[in-house]
Amino acid sequence: MPNIAVWAIFLLPFLSFLIIGLILRPFFNNRPMLSAYTTIIAIAGSLILSIWALIAVNGAENHVLTDVSYQWLSIGDLVINIGITMDSLAAIMVVTVSTISLLVQIYSIGYMKGDGGFARYFAFMSLFTGSMLGLVMANNLLFLFLFWEGVGLCSYLLIGFWFHKPSAARAAMKAFLVTRIGDFGFLVAVIFLYVKTGTFDIGELHELALAGVLGGTTLTLAAIGIFSGAVGKSGQFPLHTWLPDAMEGPTPVSALIHAATMVTAGVYLIARMFPMIASSETAITVVAIIGGFTAIFAASMGLVATDIKRVLAFSTISQLGYMMLGMGAVGMGYASGAIDEHHAMALGVAVAIFHLFTHAFFKALLFLGSGSVSHATGTFDMRKMGGLRKIQPWTYATFLIGSLSLAGIWPLAGFWSKEGILHEANAYAPVLFWLAMITVFMTAFYMFRAVFLTFHGEYRGGEEGSHGHGLHESPKIIIIPLVILAVFAVIAGWLPVGDFLGADVHFSFFGALTSWLAWVSLIFGFAGILLAYAIYGRKLLSAESIGKSLGPIYTLLIRKYFIDELYERIFLMRFLVDGVFVVLGWIDAHIVDGAVNGVAMVTMTGGKVMRRLETGQLQVYGLAIFVGILAIVAFLFMFN
Amino acid sequence: MDLYLLSPEISLLATALAVILLDLFVKEKWILGWVSVTGVIVSAIFALSLWGRVETSFGGALAVDQFSIFFSLLFLGIAALILISSTEYSRKFAAFRAEYYALVLLATTGMMLLASTRELISIFVALELTGISLYVLAGFLKDAKSSEAGLKYLLLGAVASAVLLYGMALVYGLTGTTYLDEIAAAISSQGILGSPALLMGIVLLVAGFGFKIAAVPFQMWVPDVYEGAPTPVTAYLSVASKAAGFAVILRIFYEALGPASLDWGMIFAVLAAITMTIGNIVALTQKNIKRMLAYSSIAQAGYIMIGLAAFTAEASSAIMFFLACYALTNLGAFIAIIAISNKINSDEIADYSGMVRRAPLFALALALCLISLTGIPPTAGFMAKIYIFSAGVNADLLWLVIIAVINSVISAYYYLRVVRVMFLGEPLSEERVHASSGLRIALAITCLGVLLLGIYPWILMKYSEIAAITFLP
Amino acid sequence: MAVGLEHFLVLSAVLFAIGLYGVLAKRNAVVILMSIEIMLTAVNIAMVAFSRYGQFITGQVFVIFIMVVAAAEVAVGLALIIAIYRSKKTVDSEKFDLMKW
Repeated sequence: MPNIAVWAIFLLPFLSFLIIGLILRPFFNNRPMLSAYTTIIAIAGSLILSIWALIAVNGAENHVLTDVSYQWLSIGDLVINIGITMDSLAAIMVVTVSTISLLVQIYSIGYMKGDGGFARYFAFMSLFTGSMLGLVMANNLLFLFLFWEGVGLCSYLLIGFWFHKPSAARAAMKAFLVTRIGDFGFLVAVIFLYVKTGTFDIGELHELALAGVLGGTTLTLAAIGIFSGAVGKSGQFPLHTWLPDAMEGPTPVSALIHAATMVTAGVYLIARMFPMIASSETAITVVAIIGGFTAIFAASMGLVATDIKRVLAFSTISQLGYMMLGMGAVGMGYASGAIDEHHAMALGVAVAIFHLFTHAFFKALLFLGSGSVSHATGTFDMRKMGGLRKIQPWTYATFLIGSLSLAGIWPLAGFWSKEGILHEANAYAPVLFWLAMITVFMTAFYMFRAVFLTFHGEYRGGEEGSHGHGLHESPKIIIIPLVILAVFAVIAGWLPVGDFLGADVHFSFFGALTSWLAWVSLIFGFAGILLAYAIYGRKLLSAESIGKSLGPIYTLLIRKYFIDELYERIFLMRFLVDGVFVVLGWIDAHIVDGAVNGVAMVTMTGGKVMRRLETGQLQVYGLAIFVGILAIVAFLFMFN
Repeated sequence: MDLYLLSPEISLLATALAVILLDLFVKEKWILGWVSVTGVIVSAIFALSLWGRVETSFGGALAVDQFSIFFSLLFLGIAALILISSTEYSRKFAAFRAEYYALVLLATTGMMLLASTRELISIFVALELTGISLYVLAGFLKDAKSSEAGLKYLLLGAVASAVLLYGMALVYGLTGTTYLDEIAAAISSQGILGSPALLMGIVLLVAGFGFKIAAVPFQMWVPDVYEGAPTPVTAYLSVASKAAGFAVILRIFYEALGPASLDWGMIFAVLAAITMTIGNIVALTQKNIKRMLAYSSIAQAGYIMIGLAAFTAEASSAIMFFLACYALTNLGAFIAIIAISNKINSDEIADYSGMVRRAPLFALALALCLISLTGIPPTAGFMAKIYIFSAGVNADLLWLVIIAVINSVISAYYYLRVVRVMFLGEPLSEERVHASSGLRIALAITCLGVLLLGIYPWILMKYSEIAAITFLP
Repeated sequence: MAVGLEHFLVLSAVLFAIGLYGVLAKRNAVVILMSIEIMLTAVNIAMVAFSRYGQFITGQVFVIFIMVVAAAEVAVGLALIIAIYRSKKTVDSEKFDLMKW
């Protein structure tokens, strides 16, 4: 596969962005569909090239097709390269990203129809897809960081896409600020690593770390810095608060960016840096603990959320926690010496990326399904839904497949990838394993709570929903992507992703049912489904009475453990506003204001005075030349 | 004597004469503009064919090396863009189009010679060839403002020339030669390094060339001339004339006065600090966009002078890179202004209000160029500043770089104010602003260049590095 | 007393100063132009003196070039003065202040 084709994978969507931004939007604004077609053609091109790359990587030596760097800038000793790598990890990622992106774009044609910002939407989506593809292909940290900020920027722009809605604008700002905290740590770590090792190249960093040259506190600090970037991007505790609010953006955006791709960039980053991070026992343990804790923590909040997209958002956070846990567990195994280096490096990446891969499909499916539901009902509030099974049979069927897959029911995709993580967790981090098991139960419960509330029972929405023309199934352009994703949500787990990533995973369709672990997790899953059925399907138990009897816990969950309040009230109000702001206010009033005003005034006055020297008089100018010469001479003879 | 070494200049000169002659016979005057552009391209091809050769001719007076070719190509590129963007503007002096094009070509010839001569007499003649052409161009509109600009420019330019010549006379008298390499040899061998007369000569040279690059306090002509001159000429003055000034300064000071570096390095450092500061703070108060850009160009000259003060190979490469980036950026800004001002008949910043709705592409392009002038990534201006600042830091001029960074922050205020007016202000009328395809092409080239150099600066930096190395003694 | 290099240089410096004074003090644009010519003449004297006393001929060549270029400059200068006279009806340099600040 020629090099240029590999570059084209991420450059094509950028090209589409430029075409829309520079040509279509200014000149053909009355033909918005052109933007959509441009985006879709570009991403379809990326998808074809990605598949080509995947096949080529499979045939390449060591599963590395290309790893090239070009000098971008060299100033003195500082040499900055840009370069891409196409190995098995990148290949899996580009295929996942471009597949989901393509389906989401097709879906968006239907979903965004008639929106005033149609062309702008597709321009941002192109930019996002290009940045995301670039992110997974970058072979050095600085280049990666560039795309990392690029996807962050797109996320910000797309969450606030309906910027006239105050909640959307606020959510966008929150996402921007919260992720910035993590990114700051990431950037500091990148610079710190450069100062210590003199390189941004990921491959070289891994060699240094595995050889032990890079080690000790330096390595731990750098690894934790990088992980903090991943925590922000992937919505891990304690920086998870932005992700549920990000659901203010258009639903296809939530599906693509806040479920399938951008939020998984954190997981991808840890996977890409796995050899380095796993070399620090402290850092990898932190990854495992944060991941395991986030998994159960977010799932518990998902139990009570009433907005279907927020349920899915909590679920996303929780599943991302799973992926972190998977890598953390393997890393802990490696640190304790239970797995040898060669095996561990492949296995850690494989378990996490396999789950990332399957999760991308079923979670995108669920989000797009929720969008389809909202397309009919005009709301995301599950309390105003119900009974949609008969009206939206296609949406219902695909949503159900997605839920079963997410709940980890054999033989759907989610089962296989979740098994991989649970297996490693059981082996190397038993405490976290049981947390994960409880999470399995919770996941099944909240997903089927959503299914029963949305699709079963009676419609509770009244007449105001449904765009005023009755409830209806969504148009084909929306249903087709759902069906395709549903197919993937079933079969994605059967694909040999783990083997491709270099770990020996023995896939056996029925053999999986012979292990006790599979049965335990299936029992937990079914238990969750049954409980949801009992409460919300059959109404054997009243949700209200349970809520009342568990009063404080319920409140705790519905208020998201008061973390938003903690951040906003305690940090922002008490600490920042009352504390820092008072100090800042004082400084501002007495020093900064004075200084800024003073400086501004002096500068402006200076400007005004200097200006007066430009009298327009020729001879004054001549005099200035003469005086200037005298001044220089005087200056020189004074100092010599 | 190899005349081929002079082929770029000769072909350009021939084109200038051909344009004037053609004017007598051709009815379709628009052809003249494209004949000139073709001449520039031919000259550029000759120049490119000389890349890689390091030779001297005319008894050592003419040097063809990567340094001179780099600058020649820079001047030719600027000239081509100016010619393309003048096609519509030149209707204002329709009867004298041929002379206009010819003068632009002659000025370019002078600048190219300026970058490639190594002998004081030739430098002086090249300087005057450039200067006289530009004096006429500045007064080309023949209205009150333009004539005033031309006359002011001429009289002050002549004074500066006299000062420069006096400096040259002193250097010549002390060393007995007008060849730069022999001057350098004489300075180090005859022990006149510390002599006050040499110092005086250097000061006069600094003043004379300082006029060309618009360093404070020799910059007073700049705002008036920029405001009064026809806008394409202003654009030409602000980039090409300045670049030529830096080229000849690099040549003379690095090649001839290298041994006396201590003294003039300090002069340039102090002048740089004063120049950028004054340029920026006066720009803050301007309401006319051409005048604002005039002060901004003074400030930019201040940044470039950091490289002169640093006096290293890296700094010389940084100057060349900066000049190329600055040329693209400033030309882009001026071309956008030509397009907009031509239609709204005003250079007042207030009249640009809401321009994004009347001329979205021009407003965006102007905004991009202003962002680049401020030095915000991902634009050429950012890379240029990074490069020259790091050269300054490496040459132990941290204090100067700090002043420059503070100045950059100040400059953001007036550059971005224009952007704000264009994007957030209410349009004064609903009438759309259109412009000729020539302007659009020129603008597209500059904007793409600004972005390209901002994203992938190495494409040019490697050449500026080579050019700086071949020329350093 | 023999006339040496110094005398010529002093003469040149004095002439340069006179020219500079004319440029800075005279109002009439034509007179300013003439003063610039005096400054250039001062340079010429210095050049020739250096050339004569240092036994290197280039100085005299330089002078020829300076005279030629100065003539061209004056021609352009007078043309510009005529142009400005047509629109302003004056050649008083103090009145040339259409653009300032």
